[in-house]
Amino acid sequence: MTSTVSASGLSLHYGGTRALDDVSLRLTPGVTGLLGPNGAGKTTLLRVLATAVPAQRGRFTVLGHDPGSTRGRQEVRRRLGYLPQTPGFHPDFTAFEFVDYVAILKEINNRAARHREVRRVLDEVDLGDVRGKRVKKLSGGMRQRVALAAALVGDPGFMVLDEPTVGLDPEQRMRFRELIARAGEGRTVLLSTHQTEDVAMLCHRVLVMAGGRIHFDGTPAELTARAAGRVWSSAERAPDAKAGWRTGAGTFRNVGDPPPGAELLDPTLEDGYLLTLDGHGLAVTA
Amino acid sequence: MNTLIQPAPVAVRTEPRDSWASVFALARFESRRLLLSIPVLVAFAVHLAWIVWHTLDSYDGFPALQDADRDTQSPPMLVGLAVLLTVNLAVLRSRRRDTDRHFDVLVVTTWRRSAAHVLSVVPAALLTAVCVGVQFGWEALKPGAVGHGSPGELLVGPLTVLLFGTLGVLLARLLKSAFVGPLLVVFFLFFVVLGVAPGDTESGTRWLNPVVGESSSETLPSDLLGRPAAWHALYLLGLGLTAAVLAVLAGGGRRVRTLYAALGGAMALTLVGAIAQSGGEPASLTAAREKATVDPEQTCVQRGRSTYCAYPEWEPRVGTWAQVVDEVSDLAGGTAHGQRLLVRQRVEARYGLSGDGALQPSGTAHEVTVGTRWGGPRVPEFSSAVAAVLVAGNEQAGSELCDGRIVTVMWLALGWQDQPMDALRKVRLDDSVSGSAIVLQPTDPLSMSAAQTDVVRTLLTRPRGEATARVKEHWSELTAPGLTTARAAELLGVKGITEKDGCQE
Repeated sequence: MTSTVSASGLSLHYGGTRALDDVSLRLTPGVTGLLGPNGAGKTTLLRVLATAVPAQRGRFTVLGHDPGSTRGRQEVRRRLGYLPQTPGFHPDFTAFEFVDYVAILKEINNRAARHREVRRVLDEVDLGDVRGKRVKKLSGGMRQRVALAAALVGDPGFMVLDEPTVGLDPEQRMRFRELIARAGEGRTVLLSTHQTEDVAMLCHRVLVMAGGRIHFDGTPAELTARAAGRVWSSAERAPDAKAGWRTGAGTFRNVGDPPPGAELLDPTLEDGYLLTLDGHGLAVTA
Repeated sequence: MNTLIQPAPVAVRTEPRDSWASVFALARFESRRLLLSIPVLVAFAVHLAWIVWHTLDSYDGFPALQDADRDTQSPPMLVGLAVLLTVNLAVLRSRRRDTDRHFDVLVVTTWRRSAAHVLSVVPAALLTAVCVGVQFGWEALKPGAVGHGSPGELLVGPLTVLLFGTLGVLLARLLKSAFVGPLLVVFFLFFVVLGVAPGDTESGTRWLNPVVGESSSETLPSDLLGRPAAWHALYLLGLGLTAAVLAVLAGGGRRVRTLYAALGGAMALTLVGAIAQSGGEPASLTAAREKATVDPEQTCVQRGRSTYCAYPEWEPRVGTWAQVVDEVSDLAGGTAHGQRLLVRQRVEARYGLSGDGALQPSGTAHEVTVGTRWGGPRVPEFSSAVAAVLVAGNEQAGSELCDGRIVTVMWLALGWQDQPMDALRKVRLDDSVSGSAIVLQPTDPLSMSAAQTDVVRTLLTRPRGEATARVKEHWSELTAPGLTTARAAELLGVKGITEKDGCQE
């Protein structure tokens, strides 16, 4: 499949901190999950790909456009939908006005066409009925959908979503997953998240990032498979386990190298994620 | 784990878009919000209310348009302050609400957003221009309007709004605090209330202020005003454009070379306007003012028995003056009834608008001075001047009247009016209808004693025909020098007046 986004050797240092360290990747249409602990460099990578900050080394293209030049950066931005982490809003704007404002900043200049597009995306995120309501009157979940609508406006070919489900209750999160899945139909979506369930349910690919580097790039099933034969159950906490926790049944679920004869369990994506981080000498944060 | 790099995909072709179209679209969005904001709505409502109140009230329907244009300048400052405040907060909105992170990766760049904010104040300035146009047009359409307005003076209001708006954008780009705008407005209002403004009122530096008022209420022919209105408008335009370009530069446009050229042009406009407006009055203007004061070129026309000489701009007002002269003459008796008068319009223009414009009474027989202002108290003032000349023979003698003839003069001046008591109040300096008072005239004032006031007030309450008959019957004695107020009262049938000699009071 032709890649929408290709990046090669992206590096960015903040003082002595390597926020991005020689990151290369390619993204294809569909939802790609980006997992990693806090400080892994996920948001930095997203901001670089969204052209918010330039990389100090390396290059990347989005739909064939190189943001290294002013013209290329503008072309990338024309094709970009960006939902930042904890997005800001103009509380006195209505939902319609806010998305309309973003649409103008995306150069949708024809008023009638723009308003049609704004109505379309608000309908797409199920906010058509409250489009005349001020943002400050909307719930947190609704505001997040307004932000998603703003990212969707103009039908971008590449969407960057930075932890969009943070702070949402389970029902809102399910609804949001549905919207992201719909957004991923026919376009490339890079979804940064701490939620492995999001990745398991939505993504055809997953990247695991830590210390500014990508440590895994494959399908969720491949990441899960990394934990095959390395998850077991025990009555007591296994001292050699990389991670272990008491389950609701009262037994311990351990991840690591099982002792001989251990009662093996089916691995999950989270198990694979934990072992991927551990395999690279990184602290397991689960 | 890093992946292998695949060949770059083929670029997706999109239609080329016009970024300036986005700037205009954004400007429309922002201007709509600006015009619908509470401070701007309130400011426009106050402005409109002021226009209605002022225009209904002003000059009683006889405006001089070279004054009416200046009257449009101060109220737009209120609109300008509201625009400054609102646009300042609008520019800071993204920063205050943390949407910069998002908007900075959208296609329309920060400097173009600044340009849109600058453009968003233009509709407010245009709306102000409409308000100014309505106010001035309303005055100009009054049947009694005379003179000429200046486009330069009329542009000051809208340009002030434009200047304040662009300053609001510039402030927001330089100082990221939301408190700066309100603070500036408070300071500005504080200075306005205190009447403190930079520049000496006598010097050219006062023209550095956006709105330059005049301390005098004198009306001069429009070619003698000496106000560099067009240069001042250019100065304000240049200042507004300079602030606008600086705002765009401060908003991230430092790499746009054409902006530096625009900044140079705007600063040049400002400089040219500032220097030209501060250059002082040319010698030709001084000479023209001298001539207009001492030996004016006027057109004289005959109306009825009298002749009227007016500055060209006031020629349409001759009919109104003639009506007053005829009314006063009709009340007079003896030879005064058919007396030919020369009504000459005069103005003291030598000191410009900063002088008090006081005129000396004429010593020429049967010549009456009329000023350049009309309406309200100016009508009974002129009426009393006509009456004084009919009674005393000339203005000089009329202004020295102090005896009982004052009663005759004031009856002639007020007796024909529809609302004589109202006219009495208007013509007296203290707006009273009792006691002694100064009576204003186009030249030197008269002085009425309390007894004279009592007699006149009594006469004005009687049927006009009765008083007119008595005045005509006793005309010779009522206009004879040395007439006492008591005798005048007796002749006119007013009892209870014991004053012997009005000149002693």
